[in-house]
Amino acid sequence: MQQKKGYVSFVLHAHLPFIHHPESDNYLEESWLYEAISETYIPLLTNFQKLVDEGVKFRITMSMTPPLLSMLDNKLLQKKYMRYLRRQIELSKKEITRTAGDERLNKLSHYYFDRYSNDLHLFKDVYKCNLIEAFKHFQDIGVLEIITCGATHGYFPILYVNEKTIKAQIAVGVQTYERYFGRKPRGIWLPECGYVPEADKYLKEFGIEYVITETHGILYADPTPVYGTFAPIVSPEGVVAFGRDIESSRQVWSSINGYPGDFNYREFYRDIGYDADYDYIKPYIAHNGVRVHTGIKYYRITGKTEFKDYYNIQWAKDSAERQAGHFLDCRNAQIENLSQYMDQPPIILCPYDAELYGHWWYEGPYWLYILFKKIYYDDCNFELITPSEYIDKFPNIQVASPCRSSWGANGYSEVWLNQTNDYVHRHLHVAGDRMCELAWLYPEAKGIKKKALNQAARELLLAQSSDWLFIITNGTMVDYAKKRIKDHIGRFTKLYYQIKNDEIDEDFLKDISKKDCVFPDIDYHIYG
Amino acid sequence: MPRKTKEQKELEIEKKVNEKTDKTEKKSTSTTPKKASQKKSTKTVAKTSTGKKRTATAKATTKATSKKTVTEKPVEETKKVTKKSTSTSTTKKASKTATKKPSSTAKTARKKKVSNPKDKKIDIVEYYDLPYRYNQTVVKLLAQTPKTLFIYWDISDDDREKYKEQYGEDFFETTRPVLIVHNDSLNYSFEVEINDFANSWYLHVSDSKCDYRIELGRRPIQKTEKLNTDYIYISASNEIESPNDRILFNKEQKMVYFRNVKTGEQTSKPINTLSFIRNMGKIYNIYDIYKAIYQDENIEELYDLSNPSSGNPSSR
Repeated sequence: MQQKKGYVSFVLHAHLPFIHHPESDNYLEESWLYEAISETYIPLLTNFQKLVDEGVKFRITMSMTPPLLSMLDNKLLQKKYMRYLRRQIELSKKEITRTAGDERLNKLSHYYFDRYSNDLHLFKDVYKCNLIEAFKHFQDIGVLEIITCGATHGYFPILYVNEKTIKAQIAVGVQTYERYFGRKPRGIWLPECGYVPEADKYLKEFGIEYVITETHGILYADPTPVYGTFAPIVSPEGVVAFGRDIESSRQVWSSINGYPGDFNYREFYRDIGYDADYDYIKPYIAHNGVRVHTGIKYYRITGKTEFKDYYNIQWAKDSAERQAGHFLDCRNAQIENLSQYMDQPPIILCPYDAELYGHWWYEGPYWLYILFKKIYYDDCNFELITPSEYIDKFPNIQVASPCRSSWGANGYSEVWLNQTNDYVHRHLHVAGDRMCELAWLYPEAKGIKKKALNQAARELLLAQSSDWLFIITNGTMVDYAKKRIKDHIGRFTKLYYQIKNDEIDEDFLKDISKKDCVFPDIDYHIYG
Repeated sequence: MPRKTKEQKELEIEKKVNEKTDKTEKKSTSTTPKKASQKKSTKTVAKTSTGKKRTATAKATTKATSKKTVTEKPVEETKKVTKKSTSTSTTKKASKTATKKPSSTAKTARKKKVSNPKDKKIDIVEYYDLPYRYNQTVVKLLAQTPKTLFIYWDISDDDREKYKEQYGEDFFETTRPVLIVHNDSLNYSFEVEINDFANSWYLHVSDSKCDYRIELGRRPIQKTEKLNTDYIYISASNEIESPNDRILFNKEQKMVYFRNVKTGEQTSKPINTLSFIRNMGKIYNIYDIYKAIYQDENIEELYDLSNPSSGNPSSR
């Protein structure tokens, strides 16, 4: 067995915006959560359990954002998820009949039927509808470190013109974490890896030890870090920053030569929602009849061709195993090279979106499982570690100010501030200022006023979600994102005037409190 | 992981007027030619208020609308839903059932459920539009990139009146708006001419990792008795530091400082004692590799994967 010369740290960022519509069943956007549960969260949990059962020692870090936690904890959404699964099971049952004449296709129909049936069993009977507890279990037994995020994934480099609004994002992020995990988070995933030094003092105030930044958050730091991204730095305020390793990121992320593009992997864009006869599939697509993904996909990427071959589960597994081996070899070589030049073992930080694993890259969770097994069993010069453990082992850290940066396209703020979405920022800023004004005006509010102030804080936080800005830039589901910004700013503004004029409309407050029922423990004084 | 979109790739440093955000409203105001002044104008600006001369390029794209001044509209325009609208995931449908009615705050319409007269539950039907403006004098500055600043502004009605009282009723017609960009790190300033159709601007600057602040002011087109000055200050922005965009490689750096985050103890080491540094060539190779990846290779590739951290565009 080789001597361990370095460490690799996987950080998966699990996030979805808060989407909760008790008023209607027709919001397609709610299915983002159901898809992520079935394709990412349950597969990750299942693979973690397999590793534990097989005695494989591993370490992984996940950020679970407050909106995601709130949705996973929501009884209505849990119920709706099970309804979604029952429909998926019903559809795959029909598929078994429909594909009876084609052995290969039929086998896949059975696969989907089994998979969705198993999801329902796991969710209902094993996890008792409580996925948070399921993840917490792995944290409690020491294989998973869960970190927090900004309350609603508000993008700090734009919000920080009013620092109290980033303070509130951090405060609620930490509070939500404590509510679900019963302890304080040691790390935070800065929303979109958006780093601004102005946030450091608040991170420290709420006990955050470390953040994850994009590569140039470290490389462009001041002064230049002597170990590049292969060791963390500590900001003058005392926040430790880890930077994303470029080489390992590219291997997984790249859409051109990254792992998810393997020809044996499942083709995301071929789905029976688009391929099947319209009348047949109509009950399973959007309520307004628009074809959408159903999750049942029969083809593999095959190549750069329109003529796709059927998906073959075994071939896909073979590819995942081969790629896990490749990743292992690359890290071995990287660490071998680096360790010659460093006075301490290097850390290779590999942060990814959790939803990449399973939802986009269907075989991702299996790849991770195989990789972790290989790291444990194969001859390899590194170990898995969490950022916290690295800090504990090597607390002597170079002092440098990380660079203002994000992990968005081109590394700064273009995704969240461009000509498609820049009209939003003045509204976010004014609402932020007004919330601070309210907290200052009514430091001792009681009863309905206090409820209204707390709800105003929720509306502000929901409006600040970076997701809406991203979706507008990205050009898909734009109407929904714009509506959400209007709704939350609208509700906030209305509450603002009602509170100031002492004319709080109880029915209205009750109604929006039911819809936007995030952060039950919020205290508007965080804006004071 | 935010993915770079085609739209973004085509993004230029452009200015646009954000007067309207709602599509239906845009339609209603598009009586004047759309994007009449969309051509990109490059302006060389040479005026400085402090320090040396600099030039800046500002490409302006203004969407001409029928609303010339921002004061013509109610302070916070919203729509009131008069018909019961069904919940949909898009705004279009809702807007069809809405009639425009300005009001100072958002209103809701209530309707008792007709289907079940016994049910006293009140349906709250909501429809909101973003306020057109907030009637505040404000200048806000953000950094879009290390060398692109974004500025938005407004002048309150009260302040407008104040200027009119002081300088004459036609103050806003006889003066032109300017932004003065102050680089407080390198101690220089330059001026950019803007126009009254805009309420925000993207601005290219030459220096990253510098402190900037912006001043909004006006310059008389012609001096008059009442307007006997070169410049009228209106308001100033917050100060920001633009992000850094390069590896700093400080050659004068002799010491490297470390902090034990557990004990708080600070230590320093001469830079040349660090083995990473002793292998200078190789270290710099590592950095060069990074630099090469960022600068020469297709950076889009790094980010181009259909997996946004924000949202889950499964319907892509």
